[in-house]
Amino acid sequence: MTLIQFLIVATALFSFGLYGVITRKNAVLVLASVELMLAAVNINLVAFDVYLDDPLNSGQIFTLFTIALAAAEVGIGIAIILMIYRNRQSADVDDLDLMKG
Amino acid sequence: MDAIDYHALLPEIILAVTVLATLLVDLFTSRKSFAAITAMIGMFASFVAILTLAFCDNLTFCTSTGDRVLFGGSFVVDGYAIVLQGLFIFAGFIVVLMSVGYLETDRYYEGEFYFLIVSAVLGAAVMASSRDFISMIVALEIVSGSGFLLAGWRKGDARSNEASLKFFIIGVLALALLLFGVSLIYGLTGTQVFSEIAAASSSVEDIALFNLGAIFVLLGFGFKVSAVPFHFWTPDVYEGSPPPVTAWLSVGSKGAGFVGLLSVCYLALPSVTEIWGPVLWLVAALSMTIGNIVAIKQTNVIRLLGYSSIAQAGFMLAPFGAAAATGADLSQTFSATVTYLVIYAVMNLGAFAVVIIVGTRVGSYELERWSGLNTWAPGLALSLAAFFMSLAGIPPLAGWFAKFVMFSATIGVGSWWGYSIAIVAALNAVIALVYYLKVLKSAFFDTVPADLDVATLEAGTVPGPTSFAIGLTAAAVLVLGIFPGLAANLGDFSSDFLATLGL
Amino acid sequence: MTVTISEFFKESANWAFLAIAVPTLFAGWRTVTSNNIVRAVLYLVVSLGGTAGLFFMLGAEFVGWTVVLVYIGAVIILFLIGIMITRAPLGQEADLSHAMNVKAPAALLSTVVFGVITWAMIDAFGNNMIPPFEPTATSDLSLLLFDRFVIPFEVVSFVLLAALIGGIAIARQDEEVVS
Repeated sequence: MTLIQFLIVATALFSFGLYGVITRKNAVLVLASVELMLAAVNINLVAFDVYLDDPLNSGQIFTLFTIALAAAEVGIGIAIILMIYRNRQSADVDDLDLMKG
Repeated sequence: MDAIDYHALLPEIILAVTVLATLLVDLFTSRKSFAAITAMIGMFASFVAILTLAFCDNLTFCTSTGDRVLFGGSFVVDGYAIVLQGLFIFAGFIVVLMSVGYLETDRYYEGEFYFLIVSAVLGAAVMASSRDFISMIVALEIVSGSGFLLAGWRKGDARSNEASLKFFIIGVLALALLLFGVSLIYGLTGTQVFSEIAAASSSVEDIALFNLGAIFVLLGFGFKVSAVPFHFWTPDVYEGSPPPVTAWLSVGSKGAGFVGLLSVCYLALPSVTEIWGPVLWLVAALSMTIGNIVAIKQTNVIRLLGYSSIAQAGFMLAPFGAAAATGADLSQTFSATVTYLVIYAVMNLGAFAVVIIVGTRVGSYELERWSGLNTWAPGLALSLAAFFMSLAGIPPLAGWFAKFVMFSATIGVGSWWGYSIAIVAALNAVIALVYYLKVLKSAFFDTVPADLDVATLEAGTVPGPTSFAIGLTAAAVLVLGIFPGLAANLGDFSSDFLATLGL
Repeated sequence: MTVTISEFFKESANWAFLAIAVPTLFAGWRTVTSNNIVRAVLYLVVSLGGTAGLFFMLGAEFVGWTVVLVYIGAVIILFLIGIMITRAPLGQEADLSHAMNVKAPAALLSTVVFGVITWAMIDAFGNNMIPPFEPTATSDLSLLLFDRFVIPFEVVSFVLLAALIGGIAIARQDEEVVS
């Protein structure tokens, strides 16, 4: 196996995620797109860890932490989306236009 | 495994205990102010612990000397960590003081509010000591995570909801970009520890992927410090959040972003200034110019302070840009940014404390409603003048010295990288005067709007904790302005470690 | 060590790689383009499951299982709850994305990002082989986690605590809190 095949999969997922963050209107789906980007980061970290034979395994350890951070973020995000939905009956990012200037 | 140096970890341990204690106190007492008192006692104790670390050499019970390096170089207590930790705890303390009066004006969740503020302070404090990407990013996530939640604390207010969601989406996107950059740097250097990356960076600096990784990391932190062109969320989030939260975001959250930038640039990538220097030169110039020009048009005081904080971030980034010059004295530019950050934190917190009081009493943050402030609250008007003139950089208030060290550091590199950014900064210092003085003109020389009842306004009182916060920050602004050596010492103390790197 | 295209296809592990990577990428693509909100999230499950598969191929078994348990087990449930509570258009086609005037620049941007990063990666690593490796022992990871990486480990517990408490305070329904 070459290293680059894993890196290209990661980069592709990262670009898909970026595309989703920009184009999605629903806040839940924006969050899902960010999860794709974080998954890409995880592939990079693990692939580099194995490729470099890192004695500290810091790539894999970092991946464990990013998984925990992603979980915390989804929790926060769903809480915020619920609060907004309660007031506005909508979870669309488009409706965020109260303040301008 | 070596024995853990618990003294070095003491500030963080006290903060962690305070986080839990705030929750428990809120659970078992009916008086909501007990949670605030717990938070303040804990932060004060942690500040004392930091002082014992700072003056370790003069204390008899303190056996360790020099910088303390823990966990294989991933956690270090040196001058830089101590100064920034002290700053974050001070900021958290002031924010709690100004929140006490504010939260009583409406029915908010109070215990959880202080819990999140102290958590954010803990995260920022750990960040200042982190010397590898893993600890730093995990700690950064407490600061930003609690920020997303606090921004939405006015649950019934659609603007606050909107601020929260906007901040959240920008924040997670910034985190994803930052992490992707970190993964690339890790792949090329094989380590997450800043000092090891610094050692490996000169051998990989010609590889395009390494440059891309560094740029992704700068991009991620660019969002956190709200520098142009990653600033567009800032005014909306600042306007929509509850004002004490805005005060924290503009000082604590932004400060955490600067800690990230300082650590990455000066600790992990000090030998490749040609990668980050020019990028940050451009970002600094854009932030100052666009922040200031847009601020002039603002009619809402909080939005005005939002754009002002973008411009101030530009001033703090200027020394980074000057560091692009070959042979630049990195410890001088580093020290300039830290000194500016400390002074900015003090004066911006003070400005927010006054703005919150006036805004709550008038019932609006629109500038036109504030005219004639001097006639009904001369004390508040005077402190407003002090903080805004300090932000503008007028002597003898502390802000002038912040600008002075920034100019002397940028000009001091002795190259056009420094001269050019100093010229941009000088022009912007003049533009900034316009809008700071616009607020003061309105407060001192205009007449009170006809529909406001002066007698009621005069009868209003300033809550005790908030006046304490205003007094503390006003005293600090005066003292740091008249005895600027104090701030300069802090900056030099924080940059000591760079001299030993021998760059 | 380098490898040519024909050698790439002679290695059986690479066929397994393709069998995982192609569905992963397809599901990732559908996650950001599907017009059915529930399907988009279920595609995310497939995509994340695919990353777990890649981790198993790389011998990172503990990380792989963590992805399965935390992401697929817990995070996706949160997503589905979020979708159901906000009464998104369940099970039907709906307009979930911006119009073409946003899509076209976004597609251009992500293609450029993909192209530039891929070019830089090929420039940096060429077709270097991953050296032969043993599966990472979970005990090694856990020893590191509780020794060298104990600070982030403790701090991440505070991240989760803050997210939990703050999330409850923000999301709970309370008529009496008005502003």
